[in-house]
Amino acid sequence: MNHKRWRFPLLAAVCAFAIILSNCGNPTNNNQSENPTTPAATQQGVLVYGSGGQPVNLEPGNITDGNSIIVQQQIYNRLIEFKPGTTEFQPSLATSWSVSADGKVWTFKLRPGVKFHDGSDFNAEAVKFNVERWWNPQHPNGYRNAGKSYEIWQQLFGGFKGKSESLLQDVVVVDNSTIQFKLKQPFAAFPAAIGSGYFGIASPAAIKKAAASYGTPGSLAVGTGPFIFKEWRTGDRILLEKNPNYWKKGDPKINQLVIRFITDPAARLAQLRAGQIDFTVDLAPDQRKEVESDANLVAIPRPSFNVGYLALNPSYKPLGDAKVRQAIALAINNDQIVQAFWGNLGKHDSHFTPPSLNWAQSSKITEYKYNPQKAKQLLAQAGYPTGFDLELWYMPVSRPYFPTPKPIAEAFAADLSAIGIRVKLNTKDWAAYLSDRRKPPGFQAFMLGWTPDYGDPDSFYYPHFSPGATDDIGNWKNDKVTQLLDRGRATGDKAARGKIYAEVDEILHNEAVRLPIVHSQPLLAKRKNIEGWIPSPLGSESFEQIEKK
Amino acid sequence: MCKYIAKRLLSLLPVLLGITLLVFLLLHLIPGDPAVVLSGERATPEQVEALRQQLGLDRPLPLQYLAFLEKLIRFDFGTSIISGIPIADEIKNRWPATFELSVAAMLIAIALGIPSGIFAAVRKNSWLDNLLMSGSLIGVSLPVYWLGLLLIYLFAVNLQLLPPSGRISVETGFNFKPMTNFYVLDALFRFDIATLKDVLSHLILPALTLGTIPLAIIARITRSAMLEVLLQDYIRTARAKGVPGYLIIFQHALKNALLPISTTIGLQFGNLLGGAILTETIFSWPGIGSWIYEGILARDYPVVQGGVVFVSVNFVLINLLVDISYALFDPRIQYK
Amino acid sequence: MNPLKRFLQSTSGKIGLILTISILLISLLAPILHPYDPATDRNYLLRLKPPNSEHWFGTDGLGRDILVLVWYGMRTSLTVGLISVGLGLMVGLILGLIAGYFRGYLETVIGWLTDILLAFPSILLAIAIVTVSGPNLQSVMIAVGVVQIPIYIRLTRSMVLSLREQEFVIATKALGADPTRIIFNHILPSTLSPLVVQATLSIGTATLEAAGLGFLGLGAQPPTPELGTMLSDAFKSGYSLSSPWTTIFPGLFITLSVLAFNLLGDGLRDSLDPRS
Repeated sequence: MNHKRWRFPLLAAVCAFAIILSNCGNPTNNNQSENPTTPAATQQGVLVYGSGGQPVNLEPGNITDGNSIIVQQQIYNRLIEFKPGTTEFQPSLATSWSVSADGKVWTFKLRPGVKFHDGSDFNAEAVKFNVERWWNPQHPNGYRNAGKSYEIWQQLFGGFKGKSESLLQDVVVVDNSTIQFKLKQPFAAFPAAIGSGYFGIASPAAIKKAAASYGTPGSLAVGTGPFIFKEWRTGDRILLEKNPNYWKKGDPKINQLVIRFITDPAARLAQLRAGQIDFTVDLAPDQRKEVESDANLVAIPRPSFNVGYLALNPSYKPLGDAKVRQAIALAINNDQIVQAFWGNLGKHDSHFTPPSLNWAQSSKITEYKYNPQKAKQLLAQAGYPTGFDLELWYMPVSRPYFPTPKPIAEAFAADLSAIGIRVKLNTKDWAAYLSDRRKPPGFQAFMLGWTPDYGDPDSFYYPHFSPGATDDIGNWKNDKVTQLLDRGRATGDKAARGKIYAEVDEILHNEAVRLPIVHSQPLLAKRKNIEGWIPSPLGSESFEQIEKK
Repeated sequence: MCKYIAKRLLSLLPVLLGITLLVFLLLHLIPGDPAVVLSGERATPEQVEALRQQLGLDRPLPLQYLAFLEKLIRFDFGTSIISGIPIADEIKNRWPATFELSVAAMLIAIALGIPSGIFAAVRKNSWLDNLLMSGSLIGVSLPVYWLGLLLIYLFAVNLQLLPPSGRISVETGFNFKPMTNFYVLDALFRFDIATLKDVLSHLILPALTLGTIPLAIIARITRSAMLEVLLQDYIRTARAKGVPGYLIIFQHALKNALLPISTTIGLQFGNLLGGAILTETIFSWPGIGSWIYEGILARDYPVVQGGVVFVSVNFVLINLLVDISYALFDPRIQYK
Repeated sequence: MNPLKRFLQSTSGKIGLILTISILLISLLAPILHPYDPATDRNYLLRLKPPNSEHWFGTDGLGRDILVLVWYGMRTSLTVGLISVGLGLMVGLILGLIAGYFRGYLETVIGWLTDILLAFPSILLAIAIVTVSGPNLQSVMIAVGVVQIPIYIRLTRSMVLSLREQEFVIATKALGADPTRIIFNHILPSTLSPLVVQATLSIGTATLEAAGLGFLGLGAQPPTPELGTMLSDAFKSGYSLSSPWTTIFPGLFITLSVLAFNLLGDGLRDSLDPRS
């Protein structure tokens, strides 16, 4: 039998197939030819960041996921940035800003002499170009070919150009280094919103050149930031290089930044311990011990600025009674749960806003201290002495506020069963979870949380308690809260706003429709020789000051 | 022969059509939208509806299916809804990773499986046979993801001998411009020994994980095929004529046992190309399996459609190649 | 030699039988030997304790005893394995009988479906099915069952094809017996032994696949313990490496259950179907 006869054609066919495939598609690596070539990396100059996943896109305004934002932070600057480790503003591409007496016109002075990575000038026209793209769905250089709009713009600024809900009336170039935003209503948090991580200023020339593909792996991503986008190997890593002409003199400290995508926290920590990555984020609280047991590593808690909550839907009959909701708040042993699942990486308190916003919290609230006896009494008063059935939903994925939702849900279930509430735990695929909770009648009870876009109480309350934002809790509505939230938006004075939000805090505490469970501190870790990393409470920060010793 | 091949190729068409239909239907039965996944906690119903319209997801399903087919015929896989990356580019980048991993796994499986099978057959019922066959039974009973975790724990975390995940280390990766995306080939073409070593060290653990099941299966098939051949008359004759033992085994027996072995190898290889999701996930391997899986989670319809169709075509073609080689190799099989 | 004698001579068969019986017994008797309510068992002050005299396999992230969880988890995994194979076997058998006996366009259509299902990467198909019908045990059983169907269609069809040309079947047909009688009285019994062998081996594969889905987070819902889900919990919560007992024991017992059925299947094949 002659088996050599078939062996060759088989091999040849497989090879031919392989070669054809490896050449299919049409890569557009035009970015590589444009960027200045740098000398080969030295190990000291390379910083490796272990990201929890691949960015969706590098186009500013187009994404809301943390993995994209943290990369964009390295490539782009915004008009305003936050002081490292805080939610306070400091100048960035804008050197100063002011608001008119009626609170409707915001004027920004822009930093002179700044250039984009492609050599084009940063000026008021460039800012207007970026803003118009986000705001105007008809813009000729608008988002990609899919005809999609910039959702996050709508969420933070009411709506798009031409719509009555749009907060923005006009954006005007006053001169080369001055830009003006004219609003329809006063919006005290405007600088914070326009300074949020989504709105990096990109090079108009690059956007026009790359057109629909801008921000995708084979294409361009050009800003004014500390690092220049060099290459994106999908599913694997992104390579960035030092911007030698960065306007912050002396920064960045390292020559090259590599962002590696490693989805699983266990795998990320293994990589960190093996020295394959230098620093990483979003580890599970249970990994803290492992980090601390390794002499080469340092555990860092990110400053707390989120809330993980348990929502109780009043449209489910037993939960329609505020007494029942309060009973649930009393029955859950929050302190013990937080201690068990977060250790000292989480804090339970009675406020929906995190401790750093204490200027906007009420001091008159009496906490729901764990008290199953009292909870039982309240249940009996409400007419449920023997409890009731409750479907409680937990998310299938790990989020910064609930790193391990499933065991936490199991702990809730155990606590609630002690007062006679028979809990059935449910989950759904994440996409279905998010959308089905809004379909009437919604989930009876569910876990969810929030990391806001900027450091203002409005960014916690408005997306959860304003009209239209409560369809997941049976369209719960409280006229007083609605009124207060609108007043909070229009008021400029911080002390006055503090009082307004303290009142909101009190009402919500008694209503108990979204029970604050935790303000968590996501666990980060770095190798010992990494210095200058100051994690931001808002979830992502620039790496421009990081050094590798 | 050509007629046979043409006929087989033609018979593939309805299967491929069926696959596209199945993928399409499954995807559109899945509740949830890409819009929701994109915006996470921020998604509002109005936005989701608006995005559905913009993406054409509100059109009748048959129309959407026809549009999908029509594009497919022109080799237009579309672009990812979520990232905007053309599917063809993504396949071009990721398929080599999966292919390289599968080849490495198969090489390990063949290099260890065939000798084990031969030894076991030659020393039938000895302690070695028992040991090897128990080992292979355990091999097919292992959950691969668990094995992967154990390997990482042992070799990467505790002994720190091998990297825990990824395809190439950062320092090496910086100056390494892949041409074909088959990293091993790229390094070989350039005689770049340092890179080659680095790439291979990344390949060992995932390949071992992925190769365990085929290894066990190949060892078992080799053993039984060898046993069957060794009982044939002509082997006995050869033995009686005093042909040395090793010659009998390698020249006569193995040659004839190769038919079932190579069939098994082909089938296993086909399976690996589509089934590496768990291994790729554990080792952060930027291949096609983990990509499709993420696509399902994110409701990225074009990614899943394009990816699954591609993987299935691969699988079907490899099976075809196996069949054809089978027909060529074994004249007893008629191919009319 | 009769099949029973052959079976008793096969070491793997014997070990497999003993293992399978003990696993099934332990799982069946679990509620009697060690009554347990997974919904209330937890003490999160005792989280992640390494194996000790009180908790032989240590405790998990909720402070539950891993030994008990593995025990009950095995029960779940075996149920899923058995039911999904039963499902795949039933559907595959019926379709295979139809295709093989009636031939014609029915055979073409069924063959087409089989080819499609076989060309579709099985784990992806299972993932898609579970995503469609929601992550719970029933979906997993259906998904794993569907993946098994084509194997049984092919097996049954080829058996029927060879049988229907055999004299006793042709003779019965000539006597005017109706097809269902021929199928049930004459063809089905002869196909049984290869099907039993295949089913036993499939239970192993099905258990593995179900655990794999559990590992991807697409399996049993709490408080139901399941082995793959236990691995997934440990991996996702990030303590799989620092508290290895949370992964070692569930993995070990998945392997053990699968191994038991594989050994048994091997032994059965040697005795029932000596040609292969």
